[in-house]
Amino acid sequence: MSTVGSALPSPVAVAPARRAWSRPVLLALTLVLAVLAAVQFGAVPISAADWLNGPWSDAPKTGGAHVLWQLRLPRLGLTLAVGAALGLAGALSQALFRNPMAEPSLLGVTSGAAAAVALTLTVFAGLHAALPAEVRLWLLPLVGFCGALAVCFALDRLSRWLAPGSIAALLLCGLALQAMTFAIVGLCSFIANDEQLRAINFWTLGSLAGANWIMAAVMGGALLVLGALALRVAPRLNALALGAAAAAHVGIDVERLRWQCIGMVALLSALAVAWCGSIGFIGLMAPHLARQLVGADQRRVLPNAMLAGALLLVVADSFARTLAVPAEIPVGVFSALIGAPWFLVLLRGAVRRMGSA
Amino acid sequence: MASLLTLQDVRVTLGGTAIGPVTVRVEPGERIAILGPSGAGKSTLLRLIARELRPSAGLLHFDGRPLATWSSSDLARRRAVLPQQHGVAFGLPVELVVALGRVARQGDGHQDRIVREALAHAQAEHLHGRRFDTLSGGEQARVQLARVFAQAWDARDGLLLVDEPVAALDPGLSVSLMAAMSDFAAARGHALVAVLHDLNLALNHFDRLWLLKAGRMLADCDALPSTLPLLEQLYDTRLRLLADDHGLAILPLLGHLTGARA
Repeated sequence: MSTVGSALPSPVAVAPARRAWSRPVLLALTLVLAVLAAVQFGAVPISAADWLNGPWSDAPKTGGAHVLWQLRLPRLGLTLAVGAALGLAGALSQALFRNPMAEPSLLGVTSGAAAAVALTLTVFAGLHAALPAEVRLWLLPLVGFCGALAVCFALDRLSRWLAPGSIAALLLCGLALQAMTFAIVGLCSFIANDEQLRAINFWTLGSLAGANWIMAAVMGGALLVLGALALRVAPRLNALALGAAAAAHVGIDVERLRWQCIGMVALLSALAVAWCGSIGFIGLMAPHLARQLVGADQRRVLPNAMLAGALLLVVADSFARTLAVPAEIPVGVFSALIGAPWFLVLLRGAVRRMGSA
Repeated sequence: MASLLTLQDVRVTLGGTAIGPVTVRVEPGERIAILGPSGAGKSTLLRLIARELRPSAGLLHFDGRPLATWSSSDLARRRAVLPQQHGVAFGLPVELVVALGRVARQGDGHQDRIVREALAHAQAEHLHGRRFDTLSGGEQARVQLARVFAQAWDARDGLLLVDEPVAALDPGLSVSLMAAMSDFAAARGHALVAVLHDLNLALNHFDRLWLLKAGRMLADCDALPSTLPLLEQLYDTRLRLLADDHGLAILPLLGHLTGARA
């Protein structure tokens, strides 16, 4: 790519082609380093022998080998997949709402899924318990999806009806929906017994402690499918940045594209919530980091937001696991502690650029 | 030859303003300026033709078929729209904004070349590589115009709909871009329908005028000096016509039409 008008180099020029690949590669390398560090550090030290004592070996899995192969690696796999899913869900919802401040957990989508899960665990506990265990694993993602979809749909309609194009209106609509879903979760906690209460707490705080290989594999598979789908709609998502009317003028079926986005955001949020609880702000930070690195073209934002989301969650979960050994801090607490101040800084920038919210 | 676009007794209501009934047609290759005082419904009429709004009554046909039955991508190959407001979310690079004009085309091998030529045609080639959200209003207008050029670049006998395309530009640029738009349309047989406030551009660059007042079509006439009384009536303002070898100029005079001669 040669540049026209190179006599006028601009300080705000888009990254030239030479840098186009170096930054995503750097991001990926950082992720690999974070993963290696996350495997190595924890309550139980891991030795080289433990690495060799994998599923292929007949030696008894004790101590480090058990921790490595049954706890830490599946957890890491799930963390990577969930982090990438949250990053992708954030990038998609920002493109959908044409709003750099949008994020599934801020908009109540995640808590919509949590509310549906909480209802299933308490009000419909009898029904839930009657199901065989292997079905129960899938029931929560399914009801979570329904809850997330309902909030996503309501949000799309409400924000376009109340004040199209306004960052503040969208966030306020999200706030109202979130309050409603929190009320449902609160009601469920109120009527829950001790065991159900612990389960609900797990979901509202967010934790990756329950990970196993099945969850990691399913989440990874779902991510591959949804990631491929998202990359296919990425060029059309760029057109959405022109506004709904102009996107239609250049030949985009806007209504269909909106539905595809809503479906993907709801599915990604629900999968993440159902097994790990609600982990906020990753979906806000990851796409923002991606745009800083590679510019605003969605074809590059989406994959890099997935990488950044995975990186952020691996780092956050490593701290959550190791800071208070042998106890564990819920990772959702951690991401919110870092994410909320970040959100305020971003909000300041967004409001300045728009002149007002 | 069949008309490119026909409106028959079309009505539309948006907010408090009702438009119509409007009965007009656009012939292939024709250049039409929509004129009228602020709030007359010019942009609403244009958005109706652009299929942003649906008519509440009447028939609206594009190239012989009801406009509502066209698929988005088929329509995008025949008509391009430059809206009045052109905000772009996020900091997309200029060349990507222009390339979005061609997003509905599959396997578009000439995209990079067309994007460059479209930018050059809109006198914006120096903006290649910049972020759209860092541009001034006039620069953004030129990039959006380049996007419209890119969309209609290799189409024939299409339709360009532009809403105040040169409002944010200085006099020199507005004349040269109006001429560029006119040439672009003429070279490809595109019809051009523009909402304008500048009477001089309308008289010098267009074939026909649609005069819209309070949602009604006051007149559908040729863009000739003889329309001056109609224009005075349209804006309720006295006008003077000045003409020389370079073209026509209209000078608005102080005072309302009615009672001004007393």
